Amino acid sequence: MPAGSSASTRRSANSEGDPPIATPRARAPREREGWLALPLALYFCLFFLAPLVLLAGISLRVTPQLEGVGLAQYARFAGDPFNWSVLWQTLLIGVKTVALTACIGIPLGLLFMETPRRLQPILLFVIVLPLLTSVVVRTFAWMVILGREGLVNNALTALGVISTPLRLLHTELGLVVSLSQIEMPLMLLPLISVMSRLDPNLKDASAALGAGRWRTLFRVTLPLSLPGLLAGCLLVFASSVTAFVSQTIIGGGRMVLMPFYLWQQATTLFNWPFAATIGMVLLGAVLSVVTTLNALGRRSRALVHG
Amino acid sequence: MSTPALTRRTLLAGGAVLATTTLLPRPARAAGRIVAPVYPGPWEEAYRAVVLPAVKKTQDVDTVLTPLLALDQVAKVKASRSAPPFDVFLLDPGPVVVAVEDGLIEKFDPSRCKNIMHLQKSFYDDWGVSVAAQIVGIAYNPKKVERPKGWKDLFEPKYYGKVGISGFGTTFGTSSLIEISKQYGGSMTNVDPAFEQLKKWLPHVGVIAQNPVAVNTLFQQGQMDVTYTNFQTVSTLKGRGVDIEFVKPDTGPIAFYTTLHVVKNAANRDNAYKYIDTILSTEVQAALQKPPYNLLSVNKNVPLQPDMPADLVKSHAELASFVHHDWRVIAPLRAGWIERFNKEIRQ
Amino acid sequence: MARQTTAGDLSYRVVLGLLSAVALLILITPVVVVIITSFTDSRSLRFPPPAYSLRWYSALFDPVQSAQIHTAAWNSLVIAVAATAISVVLGTAAALAISGRRTWWTQTLDAVFMSPLILPTLAFGLAALMFFSTLRLRLSLPLMIVGHVAVVVPFILRTTIASLSQLDRGLLDTSSSLGASGIYTFWRVTLPAIRPGILAGAFIAFMASLDNVSVSLFLAGPENDVLPIRMWGMLESQLDVRTAAVSGVLIFTTAILVVVMDRIVGLTRRIS
Repeated sequence: MPAGSSASTRRSANSEGDPPIATPRARAPREREGWLALPLALYFCLFFLAPLVLLAGISLRVTPQLEGVGLAQYARFAGDPFNWSVLWQTLLIGVKTVALTACIGIPLGLLFMETPRRLQPILLFVIVLPLLTSVVVRTFAWMVILGREGLVNNALTALGVISTPLRLLHTELGLVVSLSQIEMPLMLLPLISVMSRLDPNLKDASAALGAGRWRTLFRVTLPLSLPGLLAGCLLVFASSVTAFVSQTIIGGGRMVLMPFYLWQQATTLFNWPFAATIGMVLLGAVLSVVTTLNALGRRSRALVHG
Repeated sequence: MSTPALTRRTLLAGGAVLATTTLLPRPARAAGRIVAPVYPGPWEEAYRAVVLPAVKKTQDVDTVLTPLLALDQVAKVKASRSAPPFDVFLLDPGPVVVAVEDGLIEKFDPSRCKNIMHLQKSFYDDWGVSVAAQIVGIAYNPKKVERPKGWKDLFEPKYYGKVGISGFGTTFGTSSLIEISKQYGGSMTNVDPAFEQLKKWLPHVGVIAQNPVAVNTLFQQGQMDVTYTNFQTVSTLKGRGVDIEFVKPDTGPIAFYTTLHVVKNAANRDNAYKYIDTILSTEVQAALQKPPYNLLSVNKNVPLQPDMPADLVKSHAELASFVHHDWRVIAPLRAGWIERFNKEIRQ
Repeated sequence: MARQTTAGDLSYRVVLGLLSAVALLILITPVVVVIITSFTDSRSLRFPPPAYSLRWYSALFDPVQSAQIHTAAWNSLVIAVAATAISVVLGTAAALAISGRRTWWTQTLDAVFMSPLILPTLAFGLAALMFFSTLRLRLSLPLMIVGHVAVVVPFILRTTIASLSQLDRGLLDTSSSLGASGIYTFWRVTLPAIRPGILAGAFIAFMASLDNVSVSLFLAGPENDVLPIRMWGMLESQLDVRTAAVSGVLIFTTAILVVVMDRIVGLTRRIS
């Protein structure tokens, strides 16, 4: 991902104390390596970019039978407030998921930093394991947890807190909570990566100068971790907006979100041009949010590194 | 010195040949094959248990079954017309209209199926042949709620929060909503009354499933206690120990026929006819009708009794008296209904 | 330097402790719930299960009953291995070209190659379907592999580039100044050094391919049923409790693999 990788490459530019071996041959291998990117670039052109270009092309067709060229489908999308509300709700789910994941993920990241070295791999294992478990499995788990006869309802009933089961499945709250679990490793990994490279002296200096823990957190730690935080937010946002399986199984039929809308248009209504348009709009929306976050990330890094 | 090198090289060469042969398409065996879609869930179970062995035994054809809903089948074939991923269609009336209009179905030749003589003439036409009848009505959990009598009961206060509905994405969903609309003054082509009723009732909805097959799951999980669905879904769930019963609505249950068609440009056309023929045979129809599958037969030689509950349907003649909808009229309207449903029911 | 514990300190500890406890709870509970549910004796997904048994595991491993699941699992495995292998070759080459250089074209390539991580892969799945159908190609296993490669190669790129960035360039310079050719240097110096990075990326790519739904949904056909789609179908249409057993097996295998990979390549270090 853009934010993380360039940070790491910059940091590792070994400009410290390199004996100046001036050998012309040392440069040649580096220049020759350029063509090595060609196979993957060709592959991407053929099997990633070409399909997306085709998608764009199909979105410009006027009828479901793929005749005519024009912006009719986009006009149709823009003209109906329903479509805007679907897009808006989808993006909002992404934002809410990011907010929840950040709120509980940042403390977990801080906890990780303060865990003794020996225990850190175990904690990291716990954090990483959900990421590597199938998304269908995790969604299934949330069905069991949030269902009418599931974990939460049974626990609350047993404790006498409620008498009739709460509706947790097929609600926005249930969806956001389950998405935040499913995407949390995506937030934590960049965050921990950046936090672990922070200079611990800065925190100590802040404490020595009399700042309380809260102040150190908000004035020192968080701003310095901003690149990792933004990278995490970016990944969580992109991932939760397109989490088709979770949205349909946990969100239920009353939530019409962009991925389902795309699916319905493509496979139930066979309206490929409109489905392609939905796809392009979704791509465009996510891309613009990502670019904005990235730009913010660059400015924050400039702020931090001066 | 040369021997080890030779051995290693020959080993490598042999391995390469072996690898490439596994990549090559397997040569057609003496037994033919056919790739056929089937509805996921109870249908798939039934077909795997009954149809696959029968087709193998009587026609020496291997069947590859792929679980797909009717509309998904049409979508997949539309995506690759010249090389369709399967050889037959198993469709409900709604998708049939779409597939025929789109030129995805090959003209059906009844003379190629011996067993067609066991069917009434009305069960087959130029495009395909009926293979099972479906009855649509109301399902409820007898342990949790009272027995509903008809479509209007779904909106009664005593069922508030307990009713699940699915949209126009399926044949049974569309048919049920049409019937609901009729209760409030609508007709087969006018579902506005149904939408109005839904809007009034929406604050008390139990659950809405856009994926029709989710009905099974949600019922089993206790997320809803009353819904509309096929009889055969109910009997399969019942066979699995779920508390569920089927009710014929007082205004008359809906009946429609699921049909098999040959896909245009199918790779295994001849085997497709063999497959269809086997399914129409008396033995297979009788086996598919037995509990827990309960797929109502279309074969004259297989009476609906005693497999079917007597209070449900006694004979093919009675089946003909149930409510039937004309899908050629409904099909063009459905896209608009689906989109309106999206808008009306969302939170 | 001792500092008195202030009220601020206390509230800090309490609030952050609570929130991180919530985070941990949310992270772990689903995994634990699935494992426990897989041992249920009943036919529904009630929690806690009314009774326990191994019936769903035995149903899962029964070759007659669960043949389709086995086929789907096998297909997923084949696709994942092939997609990972191809991605390793293409991705490592690209990483070598891109890493450490800040020209305009390496940055553009970097962004393009990483984009599948961020762009909605559902839209890409639909695009791939339309693409192959326009080319009149019948959906098959190789096409699925092609789709998967595009989606998983960013993982390998990321870890390999990170690994390369930690490589001491001095070693490469020394090697070439001692007369070694480029290929020799790569094979004997670079590759062993970045191998852990490649392996870590390959592992994540493998798991991502096994788990992929958004591309498989559109490209799956009768001949190439894959495990996530099959599981989803089982969940939605039959509420088949064997899904829980499959999940249990997957979790168990993943856990073992993660531990093993951690020992071999310090996986947990590398993906952070």
